[in-house]
Amino acid sequence: MLRVAIVGCGKIADQHVQAIGRISDCQIVALCDRELLMAKQLGERFGIAKCFSDVQEMLRTATPDVVHITTPPRSHFTLGKQCLAAGSHVYLEKPFTITAEEAQTLIQYAEQFRLKLTAGHNLQFTVEMLEMRKLVSEGFLGGKPVHLESHFSYDLGDTSYVGPILGNREHWVRQLPGQLLQNIISHGMSKLAEFLGDDLIEIVARAHQSPLLRGLGGEEVLDELRVLIRDKSGTTAFFCFSTQLRPGLNELRICGPANAISVDHVSGSVIRKENRSCKSYLTYFVPPLRVAGEHLRNARRNMASFLRRQLHQDSGMKELIECFYRSIRTGGPPPIPYREITLTARIMDEIFAQIYPEKETKRNAARVGI
Amino acid sequence: MNSDCVVNPQDRILITGSNGFIGAKVVEILLENGVRNLRCFVRPSSRLGRLEQVLTRFPAGKGVEIIRGDLLSREDCRKAAGGVSIVMHLAAGIDKSFAGAFMNSALATRNLIDALLECGPAKRFVNVSSFAVYSNLGLKRGEPLDENCPLESAPQERYDAYGFGKLKQEELVKEYGRKHGLPYVIVRPGAVFGPGRKTISGRVGIDTFGFFIHMGGSKILPLTFVDNCAEAIVLAGIKPGVDGEVFNVVDNETVTSRQFLKAYKKVRPTFSVRVPYFLAFTMCALWERYSKWSNGQLPPVFNRRRCVAEWKSNRFSNQKLRDRLGWEPRVKMKDAMASFLAQFE
Repeated sequence: MLRVAIVGCGKIADQHVQAIGRISDCQIVALCDRELLMAKQLGERFGIAKCFSDVQEMLRTATPDVVHITTPPRSHFTLGKQCLAAGSHVYLEKPFTITAEEAQTLIQYAEQFRLKLTAGHNLQFTVEMLEMRKLVSEGFLGGKPVHLESHFSYDLGDTSYVGPILGNREHWVRQLPGQLLQNIISHGMSKLAEFLGDDLIEIVARAHQSPLLRGLGGEEVLDELRVLIRDKSGTTAFFCFSTQLRPGLNELRICGPANAISVDHVSGSVIRKENRSCKSYLTYFVPPLRVAGEHLRNARRNMASFLRRQLHQDSGMKELIECFYRSIRTGGPPPIPYREITLTARIMDEIFAQIYPEKETKRNAARVGI
Repeated sequence: MNSDCVVNPQDRILITGSNGFIGAKVVEILLENGVRNLRCFVRPSSRLGRLEQVLTRFPAGKGVEIIRGDLLSREDCRKAAGGVSIVMHLAAGIDKSFAGAFMNSALATRNLIDALLECGPAKRFVNVSSFAVYSNLGLKRGEPLDENCPLESAPQERYDAYGFGKLKQEELVKEYGRKHGLPYVIVRPGAVFGPGRKTISGRVGIDTFGFFIHMGGSKILPLTFVDNCAEAIVLAGIKPGVDGEVFNVVDNETVTSRQFLKAYKKVRPTFSVRVPYFLAFTMCALWERYSKWSNGQLPPVFNRRRCVAEWKSNRFSNQKLRDRLGWEPRVKMKDAMASFLAQFE
């Protein structure tokens, strides 16, 4: 039985508690939040008695095997180190850390203690992403990906999320180097990092503020981002984050030398696009029917999952946590290779340096003590 | 304001959520009654249209102090509470998550009360709560629901984050009353309506599935017109001898959900399907059961507790409000409905 603790009892902690509740052979033994009342409200709702406001005391008293850190990202690095030092494996919510440097240090720390780390890139573990990965491993693409595209949209219409951020310059999201983008884009970016090589030759990032955000009083906050990436082997990637696209987009497209795959998180679909040409006018009839067949297959699979009670909306988180716990028990590799976590952080660092150059200048100045 | 109140002319009154639907009306009533020393607390991101409209209508509006801040910041709470005698706490959590609702309701209230007590003795803390804290699970259909009705004991099962936040907020206020002698009054408005809020109460029905499902039909709605509700809050803040009391706020004249929807449809033609209460209850029970069986594949948004709380036919009493606070509705229901519906024309 794995003994689990959660540090940070805000909104996302509910999802963790529910996902862990669906996994066998583990138990949440402690909750911790700097604000004790937050830990208690979560504990009361889910029947978890041990609540703490001090992480060291929690680690000492509850001695958890695994700690899920679901606090704002500024504290991830310090809390992660503390938990590793106490002998606990660590699941860190996204964004993993503030910078790639912190990510690398934390990973080294975990390896030194022979403990495991993972990042909360749970969208990597949805049913459709698992199917995509299986297709890729079976060679469906016909070789290394030639081009990748990740689209990720976020609806700012419900101002309960963005309102407090815009209204308060001291809000923790505003304090991040990449602000709003840093808190959101790691899901979309990590999908690209999985297929890109470590040697990146080019990253070109452009960002601006949407009229919607401007209307909400967005000040310096940017919410429209486009990025072009190329690695040494020539694989290219395009990333688009938008708050304006309707209908909402959350897609990954992988184009290989033979075939392509399109993954749509909104509808939980995987569309296989095979390089099969048709003669003459058949090219207008057959390929659309093939795509229709793909959609039908996805609808059938999702319906079957629903009937089997397996279509939970946060199935990716449960799958990721389950894989993480399995890797702890068996000593196998972590579910998200450390290379991918670091590469995601490196790409994000570079993007924020390009789109918020003033912040980068200040950071550099602080580093050299100016 | 007459002499029968706890407020002196020099006392400063703090109104949180003062740019909100009810809050702006509270400010208006206070200004109407000649109260000068007002401090309005608003969120940093708030557009102050509603409040500014009120302030410009009164010469004394120019002297009203506006403080922008976040009640989750203790520092902001200190700024808000400094030199205040009376607090009318209307700021509410609008977050849909339980944690968010708890933070914005209970934690924010804790910070505000702590700041208030730090700054010196307060004369009154009016905690504006909601009917959402009640559980009428044990009440029979048609029985009256008053301030003695049991409170919800399983908000998680009811899947109502807002109600959970309000329940915890009330618990906290009562605890401060017991431990620190906070002179509080709790006001629980029913379904507040009026110009400025175009949505119709979930107690009438739901439009979750793309059309309006009218739940029940002949049930009485616990309606209170925004002016009448604001008046009750002001009275709760100034009347002596009501510390530690709870007041429900509903208007005198009753309106059934069928009458309300019929009037609404005249100005906003809406396709609706009526679901009788027994059928609504059965469907909610089945949904709840499926949710459990499927381990939350469908979240329990429909469940028996919610069904009885929102759609069971009970009667609502405002007797205590009238007896103890001398409240009478400023606006009759006929005029209130006309005013509400006029905004759609």
